[in-house]
Amino acid sequence: MAKIEVVNVTKRFGKFTALKNINLEIKDNEFFVLFGPAGAGKTTLLNNVAGIQIPEEGLIRFNGEIMNRIDPAHRNVAMVFENYALYPNLTVYENIASPLRSPLYKKDNATINREVHRVAELLRIDHLLERLPSQISNGQKQRVAIGRALVRDPNVFLMDEPLAHLDAKLRHYMRSELKEMQSSFNTTCIYVTHDFLEAVSLGDRIAIINEGSIIQVGTREEVYYTPCNEFVAALVGEPEINLVDGRLFVDNGKYYVETLEKGYLLPLPESSGIVRKLVDSEVTEYHIGFRPNNIKYTFEKKDGLIRGTVYGFESIGNKAVLIAKVGEKYIRMIAPNDLKVKLDQAVYVELPIHKAIFFDAQTTNFIGTSDEAAIYRLVQEQLSKGVQ
Amino acid sequence: MKRKRIVSNAVKNGLLALYALFALFPLFWMVLISFKSDAQMFNTTFIFNPTLENYDAVLLRTDYFKYFIDSIIVSVIAVLISVLAGVPAAYALARYDFKKKENLAFTILSFRFAPEILVVLPLFMIYQKIGLYDTYFGLIWVYQLITMPLLIWVIRGYFEDISVEIEHAAQVDGYSWWQVFLKRLLPLIKPGLVSASLLAFIFAWNNFTFPLMLSGTYVETITVASLKYIASDTVHYGQMAVAATVSALPAVIFALLIQKHLVRGLSFGAVKG
Amino acid sequence: MSKLIIKNLYKRYENKGKKKTQPNDFAVNNLSLECEDGEFIGILGPSGCGKTTTLRMIAGLEDITAGDIFIGDQRINDLHPKDRNIGLAFEDYALYPPLTVYDNIAFNLKAKGVPADQIKERVMEIAPLLKVEDLLDKMPISLSGGQKQRVNIARAIVRRPGLLLLDEPLSHLDGKMRQALRTEIKRLHNEIRCTTVYVTHDQLEAMSLADRIAIMNLGVLQQFGTPMEVYDDPANEFVAGFIGEPPMNLLKTTIIHHDGDYYFTFENSDLRILAPRRYYDLLSDGMQVKMGVRPTDIFVGGPDSKGTPVKVAVFEDLCSERRIGVRVGDELVMLITEDDTRYRQGEMIKLEVNGEKTHLFDLQTGNRIRPNK
Repeated sequence: MAKIEVVNVTKRFGKFTALKNINLEIKDNEFFVLFGPAGAGKTTLLNNVAGIQIPEEGLIRFNGEIMNRIDPAHRNVAMVFENYALYPNLTVYENIASPLRSPLYKKDNATINREVHRVAELLRIDHLLERLPSQISNGQKQRVAIGRALVRDPNVFLMDEPLAHLDAKLRHYMRSELKEMQSSFNTTCIYVTHDFLEAVSLGDRIAIINEGSIIQVGTREEVYYTPCNEFVAALVGEPEINLVDGRLFVDNGKYYVETLEKGYLLPLPESSGIVRKLVDSEVTEYHIGFRPNNIKYTFEKKDGLIRGTVYGFESIGNKAVLIAKVGEKYIRMIAPNDLKVKLDQAVYVELPIHKAIFFDAQTTNFIGTSDEAAIYRLVQEQLSKGVQ
Repeated sequence: MKRKRIVSNAVKNGLLALYALFALFPLFWMVLISFKSDAQMFNTTFIFNPTLENYDAVLLRTDYFKYFIDSIIVSVIAVLISVLAGVPAAYALARYDFKKKENLAFTILSFRFAPEILVVLPLFMIYQKIGLYDTYFGLIWVYQLITMPLLIWVIRGYFEDISVEIEHAAQVDGYSWWQVFLKRLLPLIKPGLVSASLLAFIFAWNNFTFPLMLSGTYVETITVASLKYIASDTVHYGQMAVAATVSALPAVIFALLIQKHLVRGLSFGAVKG
Repeated sequence: MSKLIIKNLYKRYENKGKKKTQPNDFAVNNLSLECEDGEFIGILGPSGCGKTTTLRMIAGLEDITAGDIFIGDQRINDLHPKDRNIGLAFEDYALYPPLTVYDNIAFNLKAKGVPADQIKERVMEIAPLLKVEDLLDKMPISLSGGQKQRVNIARAIVRRPGLLLLDEPLSHLDGKMRQALRTEIKRLHNEIRCTTVYVTHDQLEAMSLADRIAIMNLGVLQQFGTPMEVYDDPANEFVAGFIGEPPMNLLKTTIIHHDGDYYFTFENSDLRILAPRRYYDLLSDGMQVKMGVRPTDIFVGGPDSKGTPVKVAVFEDLCSERRIGVRVGDELVMLITEDDTRYRQGEMIKLEVNGEKTHLFDLQTGNRIRPNK
């Protein structure tokens, strides 16, 4: 167990800068997710914490102690690799036992036997212990890799896209199982992923990283309800958030945004404080984000709703996504799986202005949200943290 | 359908048998004449009175065993040095990025391209000058040209097939770099190491040009020594055959012992897991 | 534009090395399908289920071991691939690198000797449908993966095939590109109404695109029906577990009879579910079956719910929805809620299952047990 600090870390590979001045503080016992697209530098950061790579600038600290010059073996970290990295010539049992046989963490045979069985039971692989890695499925390999990391008591538990190579079904299942096991990890975890669902499901806090820089660090609520810019908003949430152009419009002391079509006005909710935020920001051109699950639609003409046509209708498992074409803009909404629609039929869309996220059209930075429930939830979260 | 398959199998086996005959006949002939006396050498083919007189003459009444031991010393030590130096070199070529890496790797391989006769004359002059002529060390040194490239290229492939994460995992598990190398990597490259070493040994054992030119009196390998049975007046084919047959034994025995690994070790990558 | 009929199709590969052929080694085993003119058919299954083999037999790239394939009224078993009037787009784009996008699309027409002005007309007609009209002068190397696949599909449909075959055309693309092109393929089909067979292992693609889905496993057709049919009314346990995300919860259950009612009970679990009345004729005390229920048909009951109290094993907050996992015996049973309540691991909840929405499967065969109507 340890508090991990990453201070001003820069990592270069030749002319390419993989990490640009990264600062992070990961609390003791926290499950911390590094989330970003491919090539963002997530794995590099993890390798720097593990000691597999060493940063050109900056410090890595475990519990305040500088780790830069300590080799991986002596950092007492456990790691799960994307490609599992099991020893192909050793049985599952010996793979899991490997750390306990190393000179550094050497244990007697009875202890090894007990620990390996404990971990194997937790991971439900106790029936596979005599097999070789080539004789088990990918999902099982993944569990063995996790087992090898869990078998000892590391300072920090590093996981590099552990579910990325599993097929979709298994990935979802393993994610739930991982979540279930989380409480038994009992140590600080850093988890790298490019999958939004893994990030929000597992992470106590999530750091969103892109092109070697940290974009935002926050709880799932913070990054979902108050993303710091459009990049984060688009990355967090599936299907992706709808972003439409909007303009502030004042009439008789009432505040509106004009969006999608000229003259289509949505009254801004007074109580949420969003009017204040928008006015204070002195920005009048926005990109307004609407989450697909908040948008309502109907196929009957109704006043105040904007008309579009059905552009697509696609299943996403137990729900479906309805794509409406409004002007030149495509609006994605969540719909029930069994909805009967024809392509190009008319659909009337209601944009939920009381659940909108506003971004500066120039800088794409966050200005504010009109979602009162979200704000309430965030405040509550802050308060409960204060109590702890 | 079935009949077609039987016919095609018969044809296949027939061709293979024909090739086996073609490949094995010289060996068979060699063993055969090693049992013939000089008198029966040219007037008999398969039916003759087998005799051990050639074996007696070569093995007991000449320095044959000294040559045999010389060959073993030179070849075995040459392979050992190649393994000791070549495995780390292969690792470096597989894992590290440095300038002109591929050029270096190719240069090493290209030692095998040049005909030995091309380098042997200058080497002869140099060896004479620096006192390496006709020494064990001199021969072992020059044999590196034969054994090292083979080892490096086979083992490099094996290292490249092992994902670097396996090393990282072992380091994180608490093993120092040397322990990672000995306990985790070595078992994985073992098939390649064994087969490449064996092949290198056979190449070294069979080499003729280098010992012919760079040694002669103090150190003499079996390949060169076989020439001795060509006397000034007559050629003792029977004795030559004995020398050749016995000298082929170590390679044959080795090959039989690890036949299973030989082809697989050289053709397959290291690990699937 | 034509119908595609597949009758009792078999494919068996000669397995070399293995002396004895097992009865199960058919890559495609007695497959019969009928696709209406203009229909979009998805062939869906895990890898090795025979879906690509089927497609390749339709295209003529693979010998047919037994059975017939008809396009329209014509039996095409012995026709050369080029004479089958089929448009084909594979997973890899396989564009000709030295040719421009225009020449790539026009290539087959040129080879057939279609006059240049007609070629131009047809390319220009197809290009906007696939949104490649601005790319026509470019070289394949400068295109993104999504663009290459669009060109690839344009090339397949430009000769107005009677049948369009698509083999996992989206599987090389990353998430967003894949979704975008999926929408476009659906719209394209809506536009040209060409009979299409689409092979995929991704159930979401099949559910989104196809009019009807043929689900295959181990060479055998499991079910052929509309997306909602395979979702709501699966023919067997395989289909039930394959369709839907998260998949249907499948649990081994023992039926008990109590006070005139039948209940589903589970090993090492207190969970009890009242069996729907329509099954009563089929059930008996002590009978063992597999029960399946979708994650959307399980609910967390309120304070006065009569549901079984269970411990939350997993709570996943996925922002727009929340998933709860509970352990029933050894199995992890998932349910989806959209309400805003957060739960903690270990917390007790009352589990309610919509018994009416449960499906039963035979323990041995995996076949659906259907109530008598």
